[in-house]
Amino acid sequence: MTQPTTTPARRFQLPNLSTLGPLIALLIACLFFTFQSDRFLTLGTFSLILQQASFVGVIAIAQTLIVLTAGIDLSCGMIMALSSMVIGKLAVEQGVPVPLAILAGFAVGAFVGWANGLLITKWKLPPFIVTLGMYSIVFAAVKIYSKATSVPMPADGLTFLAQRFTIFGTPFTYGSLLMVALFVLTWIFLNYTAPGRHIYALGNNQEAVRLSGINTSRLLLSVYTFAGVLYGVAALLLLERIGGASPEAGTTENLESITAVVIGGTSLFGGRGNVLGTLVGVLIVGVFRSGLTFMGLDSVYQNLITGILIILAVATDQFSRRKA
Amino acid sequence: MTAAAHLPVTPPGPQTARPLVMEARGLVKRYGHVTAIGGADFELRPGEIMAVIGDNGAGKSSLIKALSGALIPDEGEILLDGQPVHFRTPSDARRAGIETVYQDLAVAPAMTIAENLFLGRELYRGGALGRALKLIDRRRMLTEATEHMKGLQFAIKSMSQPVETLSGGQRQGVAVARAAAFAQHVVIMDEPTAALGVREGNMVLDLIRKVRDRGLPVILISHNMPHVFEIADRIHVHRMGKRAALLNPQKISMADTVSVMTGAIRPEDLSADVLAH
Repeated sequence: MTQPTTTPARRFQLPNLSTLGPLIALLIACLFFTFQSDRFLTLGTFSLILQQASFVGVIAIAQTLIVLTAGIDLSCGMIMALSSMVIGKLAVEQGVPVPLAILAGFAVGAFVGWANGLLITKWKLPPFIVTLGMYSIVFAAVKIYSKATSVPMPADGLTFLAQRFTIFGTPFTYGSLLMVALFVLTWIFLNYTAPGRHIYALGNNQEAVRLSGINTSRLLLSVYTFAGVLYGVAALLLLERIGGASPEAGTTENLESITAVVIGGTSLFGGRGNVLGTLVGVLIVGVFRSGLTFMGLDSVYQNLITGILIILAVATDQFSRRKA
Repeated sequence: MTAAAHLPVTPPGPQTARPLVMEARGLVKRYGHVTAIGGADFELRPGEIMAVIGDNGAGKSSLIKALSGALIPDEGEILLDGQPVHFRTPSDARRAGIETVYQDLAVAPAMTIAENLFLGRELYRGGALGRALKLIDRRRMLTEATEHMKGLQFAIKSMSQPVETLSGGQRQGVAVARAAAFAQHVVIMDEPTAALGVREGNMVLDLIRKVRDRGLPVILISHNMPHVFEIADRIHVHRMGKRAALLNPQKISMADTVSVMTGAIRPEDLSADVLAH
């Protein structure tokens, strides 16, 4: 061990491109739309973007945790839809007290997430296949359970997340605050707690983690179960957003959340990434959506740009890994 | 890291006067009609490097698995510091102070050296809150990692650099240092230099010697005869599921050792002075 490495010892290392890249992309997008429309750069727009992004944002938190373990969850949106249907049916049609209905919704989300985790850890099936199958199963469950009809919320029910508080005269919803708070809490968990670091290690080298005496099955199982709970939280935000539980919900959130995770700089191979990058990824998609609307452009341009960003993000990840 | 630091420093080399650190008597493991271990003995003295060699299929990995808890023998007993032990899992062996280093670089590449050293044994921040929330103490982990690596003369400037910035030998060095830090009794190294080039392999050999010199006995499984002869104090030759001979690398030639290993020379035909005692 006589050869010292060339990397100089630095207390604070500059974040690498996959961490900074998304933030730069977000700033450029904001600047661009500000020049295009002078109504764009307002706190009101920002508040709206946050509100629209909130339930996909919460799903994307769970998706980040799973992708960090080198897994993927295609059933996320459907679990959210099932959870929202459970909460809606119980609270509106069965007259169950709202807190109990919400708990039941969380429990259903946790159960389906746990089932995903069990199939992945005990039967050693690939996450892609397990969650693809679960997507279909839960899709059917939602349709059967709801008899393909939606449950509209009464005007006074479950609206606490839609209530607003004011910063600098601009109203923000508590739902947006909840999403941002969950991002920050998850970031602290991932970076400053032992289980958080083990999630990163799991995506790096599962065998090494197992050999170091960590129960990898239990860790993976808890990640998928906790993801299910987060889908329950997303269900609350969805109920508030669309004003009821819909049997048509949940079909696109898997790809939307993976988009946010990838644009945010988290590697699909696991073990590298940052949950705050995912928040930036969620915001980038939101900024393009509302920016293009302000410019009066069709939403297909949003698909075009999202596609380009995904490919750029994955290319950046690949190149930085090849260099390493 | 604290465990190793409190070990009494013993002079290098085998200590014949002191009791065995580890001993196995008459281990047997059968899978149906296949006998993986057929009455194998093993011994390890304080402060020695015991090389375990054997041809493919001789059953040396089964023996090592039994010693490291990855396999439960059908018969026989394993003694640690003279006390019988019964490992059911590798975690049992680890708790008893036996650490294993594997050949395939068992590290998490994107994580820092300090994090890899403490993987699964993170230091928590003080107070009930720190332990309850499992909040890691990055600063203390960094300091202790730096101190530990300095003790092994492992020349890496920053413990906060990701392991993937290191060469293959340095990565294996991290795995060896990790085992040395937590092992209280024995370090088992399974082909630690197999995946490495010549210079890198020598780096790791140096490190293994330093681990031994700090008082930790080492079991080294290797196919690489020059490496075995360079650092082993005694050689355990495994053949047909059991120990065929204990050799003294100072006295026997590499060619004769290989002959014993392959069965070309019967152990009974060896002269007494090449045997280790």
